[in-house]
Amino acid sequence: MYFKILSIWFFSLCSIAMAQHAPENIKGVVLNAKTLQPIEGATIMGKGLFAISSKTGTFVLTNPNKDNCVFTVSHMSYAPETIHVTDNLEDNNIKILLNEKINTLAEINLYGKTEQRKAMEHPMVATLVSKTFLENNRENSLMQTLEKIPGVSTINIGSGQSKPVIRGLGFNRVVVIQNGVKHEAQQWGNDHGLEIDQYGVEEVSIIKGPASLMYGSDAIAGVVDIKQAKTPAKHSFGGEVNLLGESNNDLLGISAGVKSRKEHWFYTGRLTYRDYGDYKVPTDKINYENYIFELHDNNLRNTAGKEADASISLGYIKNNISTETTFSNVNAKNGFFANAHGLEVRNSSIDYDSDNRDVDLPYHKVNHFKITNNTKIKLNKHTLLMDVGFQNNAREEHSEPVPHGYMPTPEDSQERTFLKNTYSLNIKDDFDINPQNHFVTGINLEHQQNNIGGWGFLIPEYQRTTVGAFAYHQLEINHNLHLMSGLRYDFGLMKTKAYYDWFQSSVTNNDGSTSQVYLQRSLDKTLDFSNFSGAIGLSYIHGKTSYKINFGKSFRMPLANELASDGVNYHMYRYERGNLNLQPESSYQVDVEFNHTNQWFQLNISPFVNYFDNYIYLNPTPYYEGVLQIYEYTQAKVFRFGGEVKAETTLFKKLNLQASAEYVYSRQTSGDKKGFTLPFSPPLSGLFTASYQFKDLSVITQPQLSVDYKITATQKEIVPPEEETEGYQVMNLSWFANLHLVKGNQPVKLKAKINNVFDTKYFNHTSFYRLIDVPEAGRNFSISLTIPI
Amino acid sequence: MSYLKKTLIILANIFMFGACTGDNDLEKDLEKPTISVNYTDGFPQGCSELQRGNTYTFRAQVTDNVALAAYSLNLHHNFDHHTHDDQGAVCDLEQIKTAVNPLVYLENFQINEEDVKVYEIQIEVTIPDDIDTGDYHCAYSVTDQTGWQSRTSIDIKIVE
Repeated sequence: MYFKILSIWFFSLCSIAMAQHAPENIKGVVLNAKTLQPIEGATIMGKGLFAISSKTGTFVLTNPNKDNCVFTVSHMSYAPETIHVTDNLEDNNIKILLNEKINTLAEINLYGKTEQRKAMEHPMVATLVSKTFLENNRENSLMQTLEKIPGVSTINIGSGQSKPVIRGLGFNRVVVIQNGVKHEAQQWGNDHGLEIDQYGVEEVSIIKGPASLMYGSDAIAGVVDIKQAKTPAKHSFGGEVNLLGESNNDLLGISAGVKSRKEHWFYTGRLTYRDYGDYKVPTDKINYENYIFELHDNNLRNTAGKEADASISLGYIKNNISTETTFSNVNAKNGFFANAHGLEVRNSSIDYDSDNRDVDLPYHKVNHFKITNNTKIKLNKHTLLMDVGFQNNAREEHSEPVPHGYMPTPEDSQERTFLKNTYSLNIKDDFDINPQNHFVTGINLEHQQNNIGGWGFLIPEYQRTTVGAFAYHQLEINHNLHLMSGLRYDFGLMKTKAYYDWFQSSVTNNDGSTSQVYLQRSLDKTLDFSNFSGAIGLSYIHGKTSYKINFGKSFRMPLANELASDGVNYHMYRYERGNLNLQPESSYQVDVEFNHTNQWFQLNISPFVNYFDNYIYLNPTPYYEGVLQIYEYTQAKVFRFGGEVKAETTLFKKLNLQASAEYVYSRQTSGDKKGFTLPFSPPLSGLFTASYQFKDLSVITQPQLSVDYKITATQKEIVPPEEETEGYQVMNLSWFANLHLVKGNQPVKLKAKINNVFDTKYFNHTSFYRLIDVPEAGRNFSISLTIPI
Repeated sequence: MSYLKKTLIILANIFMFGACTGDNDLEKDLEKPTISVNYTDGFPQGCSELQRGNTYTFRAQVTDNVALAAYSLNLHHNFDHHTHDDQGAVCDLEQIKTAVNPLVYLENFQINEEDVKVYEIQIEVTIPDDIDTGDYHCAYSVTDQTGWQSRTSIDIKIVE
């Protein structure tokens, strides 16, 4: 480790206004010499004297030594001042002006590297998303907010739920990490959201590519890593209240968060509540398979919902140890579009149009409870990280009890329940052998138990245990050239439980007679899987340009429904058959990233080529079981390539222009659907953003107007049962400003936004409702306030 | 800047490589089959009444651009008015009632000849004497070799 002398000079100009005689008490005010704004938190210290300046910069020193009063005024960001108070002070009000600290650094060598530099050196292609980005682009769900990032899209259902898709792959192929622990909801399904309160999220890192090496099974297409909130500063208290109102679905939302720290102990807390009505689409009727649904007031009936979230964390930090325990609970209830739920056209006697805020059948309720503990211990050259997690995921799906096939009318509306408990343990050792060699080893353990209930069967009960161990090495070949290589081994055990229908079906025997039987839908089976995965990557920094290349093999264990389902998916109106012979999916990918940043512009290009030798695919067959089409899980070879391009420039220091484009090409190169793409393939799209920074106007500072223009090409790449989706262009407008309503306080942040300015009727190819020809939401006005406390 | 240029050329090549290895000019079937009872012999027509004890031949015309594969017929009660058909005409539905012994007919059939592009579904069904009368629903579906499916449904009544 090289260490050189660090020298710092403080320049300060003194301008002290003070006068003649010392009174009983000394009152004063501390101001910024340049702006004359009050300085809060300046320390005033003298012999037997102590005060801290208030929000308005004022302080009081009691019982000063009248003859010779000397004190020092200091603040982290300002040059300290020493004040002599003589006995001829005219009035007892002292004005102290502090100058901002100007540090001149002769030569400096830092031990640490900035996060930005570290990200540049790390060969893995990742995008860091800041809190500012999240605040400025906040939409109805976390994933809709992140959708602006090239390469990221979503599969949506309704207005508040969406799941991540990275470069065209989603569901269980993208891992969501929160506080170091893999977030477990019901990732496999079409109509389950993420179950995360987006207001608590401060920073997200998105890996667009296979990342099994560090994140295990399922991280085959990418990772959305929600970072732990930053530890608050010592002796601090802060918080904010966010208010949100939206016109399209009459949404009202409130979220309040606090964070505070003493010396070693710290805590954070947040409460969020959102309540919304049916969302509006720019059409008065929907046509699905020749059925026509008239919409009342453009409301997509029964898509209202509400959400209540709470989280609290408690942490301790001292010397080389830090630990934080977080409890969180997300609770939501959402309705589903009533007329074509499960792709079957339905009439109902429920009067959906009487109220646009009520939630009738069909709907679902979810509750996600989570405890995580993150502990970090620094021991010499080792950093030990431990993440422990428990998650309880309870979901109920309710729909009108109707007879179907041989199934008589069920007694209640409880169509399905899922109760999933997940226990996770990750241990990682970060070993800095020397500045050039960095060695990381770790293990991941996860145990999961899924219980089911209700009258509709979709996936069996199962238990899944996975163990993974990995090691990777980061080598600094020279200051600008870094090599990373790693290996991982995983072992998984899956136990599925048998399931029989609760009603009898008529079955034709071999001799032509018929008998009534309780059909078996899943088998009692224990299956095991193992897999090697790995990655090797190189990063090279050449002045303002950086290059990355990364080659990785990732994998995914088959899921219970892929292995063992055998029954009617009433949700999708089809018969789904699992396959016990499925092998773990494996994927090989080459990622390249090129980034150039100079004072005029930034350019980022990130192409990839990807090959799956056994992609698990739910294949629509030409055959029937009863009267429903059979969809069968099969494995096919898949070839994909694509990438993202992003360019950015700022003109006249005021106008920021951004343009980005994303494209994915997928082909199944074997199997029944050879030549076809994969389901839910995102079309070629481009996003243009222009933001203009206006001049401050009295109490309004940093006013900014921003226009987004999204252009999406027609998606002709489809696979049964999809339909081609026409291209579209949508414009959004936003206005941001800081309002200094109370002098000396932090400003209130205001955001006003119009989504879909022209109320364009368009279809999103990756929306669940696309399958029933429901257009995307119409024009929406929203206003949000972030008030500091 | 020469570095920048070189890199751009390399990246462009990667894109090109991908683009060229792409489509192997496979003729993809992107068309759904069609299904209809809207012709003289099509049966049942919207709102028709079927008598218990009688035998009927259910007929529908199906077509596909490549090859038809299989079809199904589904007869189930609509006593709770849960579904409506897509034939355009609105039938007068009876009172909502509880099923006691409703007719359930769920059968599928394969078209075994190869490359059939036009086909007439003909299924003989005898309506049993002891089933509940009232509003029923008749749903046809058809698949092609590729796995595309089309459906149509007709509101009918079963009478004494």
